[in-house]
Amino acid sequence: MNTKPESQSLAAWVEETREGIDSGRFPARAFNDQAVYDLEQERLFSKTWCFLAHESEIPHPGDYVTRYIGNNNLIVARDEHGEIHASLNMCRHRGNVMCKAEMGNASHFRCSYHGWTYKNSGELVGVPYMKEGYEGRLKRKDWGLVRVRVDSYEGLVFGCLDPEAPPLDEYLGGFQFYLDLYLKHGLGGVEVHGPPDHWIADTDWKICTENFAGDGYHTPVAHQWGFHLGYFPSSGSTHSQGWAVSIPGKGHGIGLGHGPNFPPFGGFPDDLVAEMKQSLSPEQVAVFSRTRTAVGSVFPNLSFLMQPFSLEPGEIGVRFVTMRLYHPVGPGRMEMYSWCLVPKNASQEYKKEAYRAYTLAFGQAGTFEQDDFENWTKVTQAAGMTMVRDVDFPYIMGMDSAPDPEFPGPGHAVVPYVNDTNFRNLWSRWADYLAGEA
Amino acid sequence: MGERPVDRDTVSEIQEFMFREALALDERRFRDWLAMLTDDIRYEAPLRVIREGLAVWDLSPTSRIFDDDRQTLEVRIQRLETDFAWAEQPPSQTRHFVTNVLVDPGDNPDEYKVHSNCFIYRSRGTSPTPSLYSLSRKDVVRRTEDGWRLARRWAAFDQALINAHNLSILI
Repeated sequence: MNTKPESQSLAAWVEETREGIDSGRFPARAFNDQAVYDLEQERLFSKTWCFLAHESEIPHPGDYVTRYIGNNNLIVARDEHGEIHASLNMCRHRGNVMCKAEMGNASHFRCSYHGWTYKNSGELVGVPYMKEGYEGRLKRKDWGLVRVRVDSYEGLVFGCLDPEAPPLDEYLGGFQFYLDLYLKHGLGGVEVHGPPDHWIADTDWKICTENFAGDGYHTPVAHQWGFHLGYFPSSGSTHSQGWAVSIPGKGHGIGLGHGPNFPPFGGFPDDLVAEMKQSLSPEQVAVFSRTRTAVGSVFPNLSFLMQPFSLEPGEIGVRFVTMRLYHPVGPGRMEMYSWCLVPKNASQEYKKEAYRAYTLAFGQAGTFEQDDFENWTKVTQAAGMTMVRDVDFPYIMGMDSAPDPEFPGPGHAVVPYVNDTNFRNLWSRWADYLAGEA
Repeated sequence: MGERPVDRDTVSEIQEFMFREALALDERRFRDWLAMLTDDIRYEAPLRVIREGLAVWDLSPTSRIFDDDRQTLEVRIQRLETDFAWAEQPPSQTRHFVTNVLVDPGDNPDEYKVHSNCFIYRSRGTSPTPSLYSLSRKDVVRRTEDGWRLARRWAAFDQALINAHNLSILI
């Protein structure tokens, strides 16, 4: 139901929601509602660090991509000195869109309306009729493109609309330990295999964030065909082994699934494993060597998955990594960006194999992705029904589970992997933002 | 245009083969469809990116929506034959409209390059809004002892932001 309640009652709803999360309840309404969507735009996406691009998408001076934070279209460009900038994709003169492509290379952007010209870093450098028209009253330095704060971690470039927000390192708050499991595949790190799959779905972005924050519970059912045909080495019952780790107060979470008899670093070529043992800390190696599947979300809308896949049922195959961004474009509607990340130092052959495993499993035509989005669009549709307005969902798995004292990584790690702990942490952080208390 | 024109009979046979291949997909006779492919089939859909007019490419040289061979297509069909392919429960209703078929000689004497336009109508369940896809296809078909076979499917979507929650259909 997309009616807009009075702001008073919305504030009360947010407070009730916060109380509910503590006792393991979360309202269905959050997944398809105009007022909730508007509040997210206003209070959440305007304050969080949001993923913009991977550095390997714009490797050379002048390279740019256009991306979004909330409903703001941004140009993310590498300047002539190699530094990355993000600017609002809007001319400061009369508001025309500066850059109409999704990616490319340009040292300057020239507005197609009145011709104001900016360096790709956002500085205004050219104004037609500067002398005759403005008679010295226009200072170019005052009218650059609207700048957005950027910071990066291991090649991941984030932007933040709030100049007062704490720095990215603090925002990630220890989740870097787990991001490294996707990003430090060898001493060269990772790179994108190519531009991302990009499609639109009638799905709420939060469903995806939650699922990738470690929903091991859905796998044996939603992807049952994979178990049925033997593409998963574990059975439905052994699938629950592993850790669920969350960063309390930050919203980030990851599921680290184990596989019975799965060899340490299985699916990676030997030379890369040797490099990974150098690029990762001993604690990270300890976690990584037991992990078969790692599925994690950086709050609010960026996720990663690392999984082995083989075309021969029962074989280990190759490990592929996908990175995905959920860009909300309306209540219950989103644009999906899905990349495949490959180790820079791996052979072309390995990269190709990993990419083929990715396209068969994920991306818009991926056999796992297809079923996920089928379920997620149905959840979104249901969440918009009027009767659902007062319906909560249970988030009570692992309510009383104590953290695993043996676990070597940061955050709150619990077993089994099938658990709601990560999700309570996610929703609790989400509700902090909506309440204006983040 | 190719150096040697392709004779009318061959063009006509190839056109009919393309239509029968589309019919097999629309009638969900996936095993019949697999039988229409060569063992060395390459099945690709390059990713489109919105670029400036003078950009070197707008179809990504590295990214693919489909990047399949016979083995992976078999996996896709096997999956559809289980009871757990939720994306196709209930199945999509598709109609492939194949037009503007142009046949040119291929790189081998028994192969032909086939350009076609393909428009796909896809509806799901009780949703009143179908998905519509327009594609440019540059295929290769091969004459074999057993008849015509598809040796390459190359199909580029005419949109960069694809308007469907998934692509659980074949193109």
